[in-house]
Amino acid sequence: MTSDVTDLTPADYPLSINRPELLRTPTGKALADITMAAVVSGEVTNEDLRVTPETLVLQGRIAESMGRRQLGENCRRAAEMTAIPDAEVLAMYNALRPNASTAAQMEEIAARLEGTYSATTCAALVREAAQVYAARNLLAEES
Amino acid sequence: MTTATGTRTLSLRETGPAERGTRPEEVVIALSPAFGDPFTKTIVDVPHAEVIRQLLAGVEEQGGVARLIKVYRTADLAAIAHFGAKLSGSGIAVGILARGTTVIHQRDLARLSNLELFPQAPLLDAEVFRMIGANAAQYAQSRSPRPVPTRNDQMARPRWQAKAALLHLKEFECIDHARAAVEVEPVITRVD
Amino acid sequence: MTAVEPRPQTSEVRPSKRTEVLENRPVNLDGFVEEWPEKGLVAMESDFDPQPSVRVEDGRIVELDGRTRDRFDFMDTFIADHAIDVDTCEAAMATPSVEIARMLVDPRASRADVVALGRGLTPAKILDVVKLMNVVEIMMGIQKTRSRRTPANQAHSTSAKDNPIQVAADAAEGAVRGFAELETTLGVVRYAPLVAIGLQVGGQVGRGGVLTQCALEEATELDLGMRGITAYAETISIYGTESVFVDGDDTPWSKAFLASAYASRGIKMRFTSGTGSEVQMGNAEGRSMLYLEIRCILMAKGAGVQGLQNGSISCIGVPGAVPGGIRAVAAENLVASWMDLECASGNDQSFSHSAMRRTSRLLPQMLPGTDFVCSGYSAVPNKDNMFAGSNLDTEDYDDWNTIQRDMQVDGGLRHVREDVILQVRNKAARALQAVFAELDLPAITDEEVEAATYADSSDDYPDRDVLADLEGARSVMERGVTGLDLVKALERSGFGDVAENYLQVLRQRVSGDLLQTAAIFTGDFVPLAAINDANDYAGPGTGYRLTGERWEQLKKLRHVTSAENPEEEVV
Repeated sequence: MTSDVTDLTPADYPLSINRPELLRTPTGKALADITMAAVVSGEVTNEDLRVTPETLVLQGRIAESMGRRQLGENCRRAAEMTAIPDAEVLAMYNALRPNASTAAQMEEIAARLEGTYSATTCAALVREAAQVYAARNLLAEES
Repeated sequence: MTTATGTRTLSLRETGPAERGTRPEEVVIALSPAFGDPFTKTIVDVPHAEVIRQLLAGVEEQGGVARLIKVYRTADLAAIAHFGAKLSGSGIAVGILARGTTVIHQRDLARLSNLELFPQAPLLDAEVFRMIGANAAQYAQSRSPRPVPTRNDQMARPRWQAKAALLHLKEFECIDHARAAVEVEPVITRVD
Repeated sequence: MTAVEPRPQTSEVRPSKRTEVLENRPVNLDGFVEEWPEKGLVAMESDFDPQPSVRVEDGRIVELDGRTRDRFDFMDTFIADHAIDVDTCEAAMATPSVEIARMLVDPRASRADVVALGRGLTPAKILDVVKLMNVVEIMMGIQKTRSRRTPANQAHSTSAKDNPIQVAADAAEGAVRGFAELETTLGVVRYAPLVAIGLQVGGQVGRGGVLTQCALEEATELDLGMRGITAYAETISIYGTESVFVDGDDTPWSKAFLASAYASRGIKMRFTSGTGSEVQMGNAEGRSMLYLEIRCILMAKGAGVQGLQNGSISCIGVPGAVPGGIRAVAAENLVASWMDLECASGNDQSFSHSAMRRTSRLLPQMLPGTDFVCSGYSAVPNKDNMFAGSNLDTEDYDDWNTIQRDMQVDGGLRHVREDVILQVRNKAARALQAVFAELDLPAITDEEVEAATYADSSDDYPDRDVLADLEGARSVMERGVTGLDLVKALERSGFGDVAENYLQVLRQRVSGDLLQTAAIFTGDFVPLAAINDANDYAGPGTGYRLTGERWEQLKKLRHVTSAENPEEEVV
């Protein structure tokens, strides 16, 4: 999830217009390849219409260059999450609701984020939640 | 306004702790902490005496029987109704808040679920309370009544939302965690 | 009893004729209550709110607004650890509140400076600052701190019968009138896929690049977004006390996780909060409505979400009923803007029986301009509004356009000639007819297309076979129909231009450009965000000014007498 573009500034925004050469679809196509002809022929599929982790990192850098630290962090967590299937993202969200998970279950999610998806920032958020939930009595009872 | 000629007042006479009923067709009517005392009417001034009278009449006209309980430990409508349903011989209860918000609940449903919910208290008048009683009695007899038609009024918010919040806060003040639910007998007196 | 029945007469005294006239004014159908600060039934001036304080030890905030870390609830913890800038907070907090309030008003203090200072402030300090400001000063602050330079507006497009053809036609009309975002929701939730398709297709007919949303419970809303049937999400509610947050079955961490989930799919998203929700749910913990809303705003900022819908929203009847409540609502929009978030600023729920009060409630957002003046102007008659009615609806279009022209203020809309409106309504209905046919969904008849062209409300449409529609909606979900399938259906059936508009919206996901603060699309598909269109207001003569071609557009009304030939009207 590294990029050799480290000097993005607000002037690069919008990337779709000012820096299209930096953008790729998850299957490696350029933005300009997403044409009606390619859609009709089936060359472009729904899989192409997603954002890549690299692009999210770039957008996070632009946000940070505007002084929006937290939006940048959100983009970094999002970059990690692109690898997680839709259903599992929703399952993890549900597990983070109050009184939904035990301390052990929260740790399991954090470990899976870290181990399976290399999602270290997301894992840190889940571990932090587990600590707060323990202090505020918001963990599920151990059965 | 729905007040009939003459006014009725309600007093609730405590007859003992609220217990599980055995009659298979009974409907429990579970009242919130402020219902009847200290409050006497709903958010749109329907007297609580009238609310009870209509609910009971609705149950009776469908050949049912009703039992009233008063809850003190919570002012959450879903919790009040679900508690009532668990005590009901049929598993059916009507829960009602002092401001008039009403729900028909059943023992086997999740607490936040319900059979019929009437969230807009300002739209509930005597006629609606009678229909609610009638439907509850039919559910208790394992029949499937047509749901009471819901009313909607988009201007209810500007007129009543804040008063509803105020009444809700007052009802919360009447919560008494130390006091268990009791069975009550309604005494309705007509004042001409 | 309905809300428009007069109050029962309570006095024994014979009223004067004048009193009778006043009693019958619509404003007296509104509800007003006395404050009860101990319980949080107070707008923004309460002795029970905490005093500002902050203390940092080893790079961590250990005291916030009079509470030490061991006594933090989860809102305190989240705000201390995610929202407030630890490096600058002690210096920022040492700045006198009156100094900060003056910076918000004084054009010589730049937006960048006041936003930077704001990053180090606690909720109680922010409250202390805005309490010093009257409503005109609050508007000055909004004018300066709004994130996007160009104001915009958002519409509700819904149907009391969940009729997708109505939603499509009204979305097209709304888009051509100028709304940058369109939002729908349902009476019968299972109808969602068909109505969301109607909204998207109609929106792209009206004006390419309009962004659409379908308000549902989180899982379905995210699903429709991931399929590309909708473009953004907004109904992600947050609350200012721990107990109410938990009642809503969420925590700041679950919501922060959800925010990242949306971004990971390239979908724009904002949170929703507003004054009055906590006291309405009986758990304000003795704090004022605005103090709790400021906690929500900082929580949203800490989560890294780009924006917030606030301005009381569905609880507007609560601040609307207490003294100074509408000032507090303006103040919450100011704080969201000042905290550098996109602000979709309310004016989206039925608020008053009085047309004067409805207008006065609107001005603190409309005059300074916000990112979305309404977070839901009803682009259908209010009786068709499934969000329970808005402060403004289709009947108010000409009034809105006239106020824009009177004040030379851009509220995001414009007058559109009848022939253009009929044309886009008709085309939206035909495009949806073609999409339904292509996807083997229950047919839309020519009679329905004709009705959509000329309709006002859902009463003007033939009834649909609801069961067949619900079956169709189920099959859309089961077959895994995506936005791309809709694009292809439009292309195949001769609506190539609509297909191209829709594809442009989908293509933006790859770039992530719409994830930036306050991003919308221009009609030429240029993403406009608080980066390339950052608010540069710095006093008279600067910032967004209604001039040039746009001002010429807004000079047009339904009836304007021609100067050249006073016997005719300007077309």
